[in-house]
Amino acid sequence: MNKGILSRSPRNLLFIFQVLGLTLLLIYKGKDIDKLTLGTAVGLVLVIYLSNYILTKITSGDNYIFLITTMLVSIGIIMIYRINEGLGIKQLIWISMGIFLFFLTYFIIRKIRIWENLTYIYLIGAYILFIITFVFGDRKHGAINWVNIGQFSFQPSEIIKILLIFILSSYYSNKDRWKEIKYSSYYLMGIIYSFIMLLFLQKDLGTALVFYTIFVAIQFIYEDDRKLVLINIGLSIFFGILGYTLFDHVKIRFQSWLNPWKYIERQGYQITQSLFAIAEGGFFGKGLGLGHPDFIPVVYTDFIFSAICEEMGIFTGIGIIMLFMILVYRGFKIAIAQRNKFYRILALGISILFGVQSFIILGGVIKMIPLTGLTLPFISYGGSSILTSFIALGILQICSEEIKTKEELDEAGD
Amino acid sequence: MYNILALLFKYIFIIIIYLFIFSIIRLIYLDIKGMNVVSFDNKAYIKLINRKDYLPYKIEEYYIIDKVLTLGRHGENHIVVKDPYISKEHFQIVEDEDEYYLEDLGSANGTYLNGDKIYDIVKLQDGDIIKAGQIEFLFVNRK
Amino acid sequence: MKQEIRRIILVLVGLCLAFLSLIVYISYFQVFKASAIKKNSYNKRLWINEEAILRGSFLDRNGKTLVYSEKKDETYVRHYLYGRLYSHIIGYSYREYGKSGLELQYNNSLLNTSENAAINELKNLVSPTTEGNNIKLTIDHDLQSKARELLRGKKGSIVAMNPNNGEIYAMVSLPDFDVNSLKEDWKTITEDPNSPLVNRATQGLYAPGSVFKVVTAAAFLEKENLDTAYECTGSVNVGGYEFSDYNNKAHGKLDLKGALVSSCNTYFATKSVEVGKETLGDMAEKFMFNNRIPFDLPVKNSQFPYKGFLDKTELAAASIGQGKVLVTPLNMAMVASGIANGGQIVKPILVKEVLSKEGKTIRTNTTEILSMATDPIKANLIKEMMVETVNSGTGTKARIKNVKVAGKTGTAETASGKSHAWFIGFAPADDPKVAVAVVLEEDDSTGGSSAAPIARDIMLHAINNIKE
Repeated sequence: MNKGILSRSPRNLLFIFQVLGLTLLLIYKGKDIDKLTLGTAVGLVLVIYLSNYILTKITSGDNYIFLITTMLVSIGIIMIYRINEGLGIKQLIWISMGIFLFFLTYFIIRKIRIWENLTYIYLIGAYILFIITFVFGDRKHGAINWVNIGQFSFQPSEIIKILLIFILSSYYSNKDRWKEIKYSSYYLMGIIYSFIMLLFLQKDLGTALVFYTIFVAIQFIYEDDRKLVLINIGLSIFFGILGYTLFDHVKIRFQSWLNPWKYIERQGYQITQSLFAIAEGGFFGKGLGLGHPDFIPVVYTDFIFSAICEEMGIFTGIGIIMLFMILVYRGFKIAIAQRNKFYRILALGISILFGVQSFIILGGVIKMIPLTGLTLPFISYGGSSILTSFIALGILQICSEEIKTKEELDEAGD
Repeated sequence: MYNILALLFKYIFIIIIYLFIFSIIRLIYLDIKGMNVVSFDNKAYIKLINRKDYLPYKIEEYYIIDKVLTLGRHGENHIVVKDPYISKEHFQIVEDEDEYYLEDLGSANGTYLNGDKIYDIVKLQDGDIIKAGQIEFLFVNRK
Repeated sequence: MKQEIRRIILVLVGLCLAFLSLIVYISYFQVFKASAIKKNSYNKRLWINEEAILRGSFLDRNGKTLVYSEKKDETYVRHYLYGRLYSHIIGYSYREYGKSGLELQYNNSLLNTSENAAINELKNLVSPTTEGNNIKLTIDHDLQSKARELLRGKKGSIVAMNPNNGEIYAMVSLPDFDVNSLKEDWKTITEDPNSPLVNRATQGLYAPGSVFKVVTAAAFLEKENLDTAYECTGSVNVGGYEFSDYNNKAHGKLDLKGALVSSCNTYFATKSVEVGKETLGDMAEKFMFNNRIPFDLPVKNSQFPYKGFLDKTELAAASIGQGKVLVTPLNMAMVASGIANGGQIVKPILVKEVLSKEGKTIRTNTTEILSMATDPIKANLIKEMMVETVNSGTGTKARIKNVKVAGKTGTAETASGKSHAWFIGFAPADDPKVAVAVVLEEDDSTGGSSAAPIARDIMLHAINNIKE
């Protein structure tokens, strides 16, 4: 093999990046790092390297998506650890679990083949999760998002996101079956809208927006009845305006987007602090540990990107945006190359999910669009976010392979 | 002092991130060329299964089969493979009345269909795996 | 199938464009908006860096400390020794309220940091800043105190400066506020209708009234063939409007000198039409009207609008300092200085030098000539007129025993009905050491009666006590 390619191979570059980041953090924290954390970190670096390597061997599908996401994860955790050691350690654990779930999902979906027919189960599951959220949920940062079980808290909406994609995929890939029910497309739209309404009631506007966008994109591509797409867009504009006029919290978001300086002490506080951080960073950043990410509110989740821009520069920020762009592109390419319709729509849904969610939160923190509370996939701190992102990635990985139909499997005598 | 180190590292980090991005783009670029060839109409085609970047020679990911598709080391073939394990004329796929047939052209190391070495002309089915040397193709015929 | 692929690619293109727009927006933000946004006072980073540095002190021209910082626990406390006296000049520097005055304008010198962030970074690596620089003002503390004392109870401003080198000896603006109790009084201060936060010397625009006649006189001297003879009957109609003198007094036969000494409105109103708006306007601009005055504090441009349409009445009104003419007290002091200095207008200076903590001079503000308003001969002529004004004209209350004083009074009519009382002048006339401008805002008295005595005391004190 060509030695030149090896040294420039992304896997090796990622390794070097992680090692350098680890070294810098070590020096930064001084003698305070305990052996266990160090061990876990080194372990994770090795796990990532091995995973990337193994993937090239065991899968005939895509290698890049795991590479890209592990780079994103690395940048994220270096930043999170720098800001808060405790959370950094937790994030290490989440990432490790995430990678494990990635492989688990990959193998499970590879072996078990029933997914396209479980539409009703997905629907029921989604509604149950919604009920759980409303009954047991806590309000954090203004949105009822979280459910606490003992020590751990998780976001049901993250799981519902995945279910949504399965619902859409199983519906549109089995059109013959659904065509028998009259107006099934309308029912589908009604159900999805009910999801969005429930999210709106939870005040989780960001996730509502993500749900909507995934739905409208898939519908645009696959719905035969074109006027439904127009109805959809029309309804959304209508509800959007309605929401703006009726609900204060929507109005506030728009006002603090247009002129946060006027409301700088209350509604505009978060976004202006984010802008200060980004402006202070310049193109190359202040340097790890030399900025003040502690001045940024909600910095571990929504505004992690601002902290990264402050200490690592706009260039790193642009790098992250490019990585997401490539990830989405790869996802789409995987979808197009996939012959099996169910898995094709699945791949599309997941790619759109990654693309839309990252775009919304990135656009929000730089004040290009109004701010919504969303996590940046793979980078933000958070168990639910990281785990579901890796599960989605696992699904995407499967979609990148040749899916033999049931008949072909039986023929091959597997 | 830490500050100087951090100052230095911030440039290094950015350089590595962009090298990473560009190396991925470079690898993906090799795929793009293959994508344009694919058309999902009634043509049959073969798709390369191996990791393209691990093969030391230039090869496409998709090859549409017109009437005939030949593979071999010789430059006159449709698919030219400069591999010592591939014979000058290795195999060919021929279309006849909407059916596709695989024929080994007297290669030294043989042509394999779904793991079995072929000696005669064989009719190809959608999903068959054709192997020559270390190269593997998937035969796709959507019709 | 093909349609499906087409739609998929469409969605992909849409997403890619979205990401590209993110990149474009964030780059645009960094290049164009970032540096302005960083300076917002809600950006705590500005303060974090500052609070680690010993901010420089302010001294008067004789080295007397006016403001200094002292280390207390982990941070520094700033002491404003004369909270009211320098509230407009030095201003304040507080985290919650931002910065004003010289604390704002000379922030970088006080902290010994540079405007350029990159330079700062390098500096901090090599030898981090811990101490800022001190600022020595041109102000004479005794004169400043006396000026404020003289203005007590009134609204207005006093500016006293050296006409030869532009150094400001005193600059007072009333009402003022106490910098030390800014936090407690913030609401009262900001809601006070008399605007104590405004530095009237540099930001107050007043109708100058008759003190503007010095400029008009200079313009008249420029017109070579002007017939300076006139018969004043106490009132005259110019362009349909009736101009009259104080108490409708008829001054009789006058030349230019007589008109200035008795401040005859009808003289100037009539002759201004002959001289024309171009000549008058150009002269006003040579005296820095309509122009930005380079100074250590921001100064509003004085206004003499003549470029557009100006009819006879408006021109006549302008020539006696009414109508649309507006001036800052600082500018008027510079007018007086100009006459004192042979027609040369020099740049006003508030900061004499910037010194390092060890006392080494880092920067000095040097004298700069901004314009030649008139030549020494004409300036001398006007000077003689102004001396006579104080000797026997409207400015007799500015007389100083054994000292030749040049001056001009003014009583400017305002929309509110309450006139401003003005006085500008300099002394000693033959070797001027100090030039002053005094304005009592809406005092409803004449310049000769209220402003002149104040100017007299200022000039006397300056001559006796200030060393150049």
